Amino acid sequence: MTDQFTSDPSKPAQRMRAGSMVIPLVPWGIAAVLLMVLPFIFTANSAITIMNQMAITIIFALAYNMLLGQGGMLSFGHAVYAGVGGFACVHIMNMDDFFAGIPLPLLPIFGGLMGMGLATIVGSFSTRKAGTVFAMISLGVGELIAACSVIIVAFFGGEEGISGDRTYGMPFFGVEFLQQIEVYYLIAAWLLISAALMYLYSRTPLGRMANAVRDNPERAEFLGYSARWVRFFSFVASGFFAGVAGALFAVNYEILTEENLNTTQSGLILLATFLGGVGFFFGPILGAIVFTLVQTVLSLQTELWGFYLGIVFVVTVMFFPGGLAGLIMMHVPAMRLGKLGRLGIPYLKTLGAGAVGCLGAAALIEMTFHLRHASAGDHSMTLYWITFDSHTMLPWIVAIAVTLIGFGIVRATAPALAEAWNDANTPDGAPR
Amino acid sequence: MEPLILKQKSRRASGIGITPDMDLILVNLIDGLVTGLLLFMLSAGLTLIFSMMGVLNFAHASFYMLGAYFAFQISLYIGFWMGLLIAPLVVGVLGAGVERYGLRRVHQYGHVPELIFTFGLALLIEEVVQFIWGKNQMPYATPEILQFTAFSIAGNSIPAYKIFMIFISIAIFIGLLYVLTRTRVGMIIQAALTYPKTVEALGHNVPLIFMGVFGVGTALAGVAGVIAGPVLGTFPGMAFVLGSIVFVTIVIGGLGSLWGALVASLLIGWITTFSKAYNLRMEDLLTWAGFTKPEPIWDSAWRDLWSITSPQIADILPYILMVLILIFRPYGLFGKRDA
Amino acid sequence: MSAALELDGLKKSFGQTEIIRGVDLSIGKGERHAIIGPNGAGKSTLFNLITGRFPQTEGAIRLHGQDLAGKAPFEINRMGLSRSFQITNIFPKMTVFENVRCSLLWSMGYRYNFWSMVGRSRALTKGTDEILDQINLTARRDLPAGVLSYAEQRALEIGITIAGGADVIMLDEPTAGMSHSETDYIVDLIRTVTTGKTLIMVEHDMGVVFGLADQISVLVYGEIIATGTPEAVRANPKVQEAYLGEALETH
Repeated sequence: MTDQFTSDPSKPAQRMRAGSMVIPLVPWGIAAVLLMVLPFIFTANSAITIMNQMAITIIFALAYNMLLGQGGMLSFGHAVYAGVGGFACVHIMNMDDFFAGIPLPLLPIFGGLMGMGLATIVGSFSTRKAGTVFAMISLGVGELIAACSVIIVAFFGGEEGISGDRTYGMPFFGVEFLQQIEVYYLIAAWLLISAALMYLYSRTPLGRMANAVRDNPERAEFLGYSARWVRFFSFVASGFFAGVAGALFAVNYEILTEENLNTTQSGLILLATFLGGVGFFFGPILGAIVFTLVQTVLSLQTELWGFYLGIVFVVTVMFFPGGLAGLIMMHVPAMRLGKLGRLGIPYLKTLGAGAVGCLGAAALIEMTFHLRHASAGDHSMTLYWITFDSHTMLPWIVAIAVTLIGFGIVRATAPALAEAWNDANTPDGAPR
Repeated sequence: MEPLILKQKSRRASGIGITPDMDLILVNLIDGLVTGLLLFMLSAGLTLIFSMMGVLNFAHASFYMLGAYFAFQISLYIGFWMGLLIAPLVVGVLGAGVERYGLRRVHQYGHVPELIFTFGLALLIEEVVQFIWGKNQMPYATPEILQFTAFSIAGNSIPAYKIFMIFISIAIFIGLLYVLTRTRVGMIIQAALTYPKTVEALGHNVPLIFMGVFGVGTALAGVAGVIAGPVLGTFPGMAFVLGSIVFVTIVIGGLGSLWGALVASLLIGWITTFSKAYNLRMEDLLTWAGFTKPEPIWDSAWRDLWSITSPQIADILPYILMVLILIFRPYGLFGKRDA
Repeated sequence: MSAALELDGLKKSFGQTEIIRGVDLSIGKGERHAIIGPNGAGKSTLFNLITGRFPQTEGAIRLHGQDLAGKAPFEINRMGLSRSFQITNIFPKMTVFENVRCSLLWSMGYRYNFWSMVGRSRALTKGTDEILDQINLTARRDLPAGVLSYAEQRALEIGITIAGGADVIMLDEPTAGMSHSETDYIVDLIRTVTTGKTLIMVEHDMGVVFGLADQISVLVYGEIIATGTPEAVRANPKVQEAYLGEALETH
């Protein structure tokens, strides 16, 4: 990160303002410490598994957001770049002599290069246009490569996929990555490196122009930049980090199948990224964390998790296009005014009641589902740790009452919340 | 799209190979036409919506699926024919509702959020269908009155339902063409396609036209679902299976071009049908091109290439075609440069 | 003075309609050249041809003697020609500072650089702040460009246009839709920031044209009917007849 242009130090007036020069180190420090200590807080094996999954998803989501959030390119087939990177890494794991010569922590570089290589080929024709055309090409190419997995068996291993063994790599300072916790630290390190690199990328001339091209490609062209090349470079960079995520997947699970490539996977990363919020760098991080929790925890609780996720997603697109990050950043003005606290009680009232209403509605949905799809004669179902007979009236009455009361309170308290919101965002003394 | 080729097995069994055979070609032409017209019924609606509103409706195939499920449900009570009549109407109303209460709201954020919205909608519709009807295929069948052989070509019987499908699709297109070119509403729609602002300035209710076009487009998809459900299977994945092919179709045809959509639909219909019907082997092609087969083949890195057969890759041919077209004609077959 | 921009038998048709019907024009270095003409005369089309937005049907465009045929807008920009737009065309979601900085990047040699931080280049920041100072938007530096007032956005548009250091500046109706005081402000601004550069502008406001330009071309129905100093053009009977008489009466 050397500086090509230096100003004359004898002219202090020319010195730039400090604000835009300092890369905020504090959040990164906190993130690093957090990644270090997390395994000591959540020691269970299942927790580490979830955290590994989360970290991989974060890298993938950040890579995806290089396209969607920063470049304005909507891809329906980005899993392909992660997947191919992962497949390449499993193949490397299976090349005994070669793999014995490289330490496992370096493997993601190969995955990244593979993803980048594929992105270079596909990007050469797909980035000519942004918007709908790009989205459709990404979908078509994604489908094509996913479908190839059953045809090009030598590389993709057909329907059962391919598997390898990460422990055959050259020991890295004596560590052979036999244990899950060792893998965790490998993934965490790569998470930190990749996230930092992607963040720094967004501060480079190319990264800034990616935003410019996203907002107004025509104007960018009249500033000397080819919109197509700017998109192409973003696409290639994104392919690299997607490949890294795929490689880490290979390291963690030691198996890759068609499922890592297909459009479902691509759709899920779109979901995670958008829910987190594409407008801010940390949005996809949030999205990946929440999404992984929903995917792993909620899916154990209910068969209908996809249904809920679909509703949440559609509601997000319609009403909160900024995602979680956007919702959080909405509160910055109030925080600057020092009036964030005034929102606490109204929030508690409205959102608390809303949560209860949602739980009630979910109960109704679950009961309807049970009524319709449980095997004949199976009347007993368990919901929120209560077992009851879904064919009797009482549970229905309770669920309907809870739902109505919950949403009723939301309706009743919403004006007060709106009032509090206006108040919190208006400087004291200013006329409303 | 396997089930469309109803007589596939018997034909293979009768041992017809690569030898040119006019009868067989005719049979495949009919099969491909059915697939192509079905694709066009979806891609036509999609193209209409796209060229008018600039929105690519990712959930288009989901409305096709809803058409099939609704028709199935209706057919349980009042028969197939009422399903054919009512289900598309219901789907169209639903589609109009989606435009009115969903898309119009998201429109302010731009085209990419619109596309993401319809993508989310597609996911949600699939989940809703699974919620109501479960994950299994529905026993939605062709009506009994059409369960006979229309005619035979050299021992290959052509089911009457297939002929019915062809007639229904063609009838709908003639109707659509008539409405678009001969009626006042059609004129306004055509004008609104190109000059939405001017048409609005002339006092026409453009949002209403948009909603109507969206409704009609989705209703068309619904019709396709009603008539394809019994042969392609009515199951929660049906939208996804056909959906991506439909998007590929309109990219190949050129986004926003109705003629492009027609040509690309038929092209894809015939290409997939023919490559399934004729077992062309890559081995023969490579040998013909002068390559020698590496021995032993199972140990060669090229083994997958040598063992490719045309039925095996039939379903990915549309994607390959799309990539090739995009490389050599970035705007599709009939696309305008500035689309 | 050698020519900064030359148009040679330039023609452009859209379908059957010929919009530009053979334009020959030579604009000298350092000249302030205004192109005027009634609505529909093809002024904006001429602009779009020169800047590579549309390909011409016939004829040649030369910038500093180099043919521009088949060149994309970004290539033309790199050769030293920059333009503004009739409809404000900025990056609304980015800050005012970033808007200007984006237009400095290429000319300062950053190209597709992805290894240095834009925030760390003092020269870049200094250059951007200087431009902001020139267009009087320093106070608005960190606001998203989309929230600026119309006049401020027009000023920013001009700032973006000149920031890259192009020596041929093309402004498409820079004062369109402005009040009198805003117009005066923008005219002063244009005069300052284009000092020593070649300026080509399309403008409807005759006050602006006669106040700023030292050469005027009159475009009517895709042809240039007169070129010369403001006085010569004003006195030209053809111009009087075609356009100016009427326009002068109303001003």
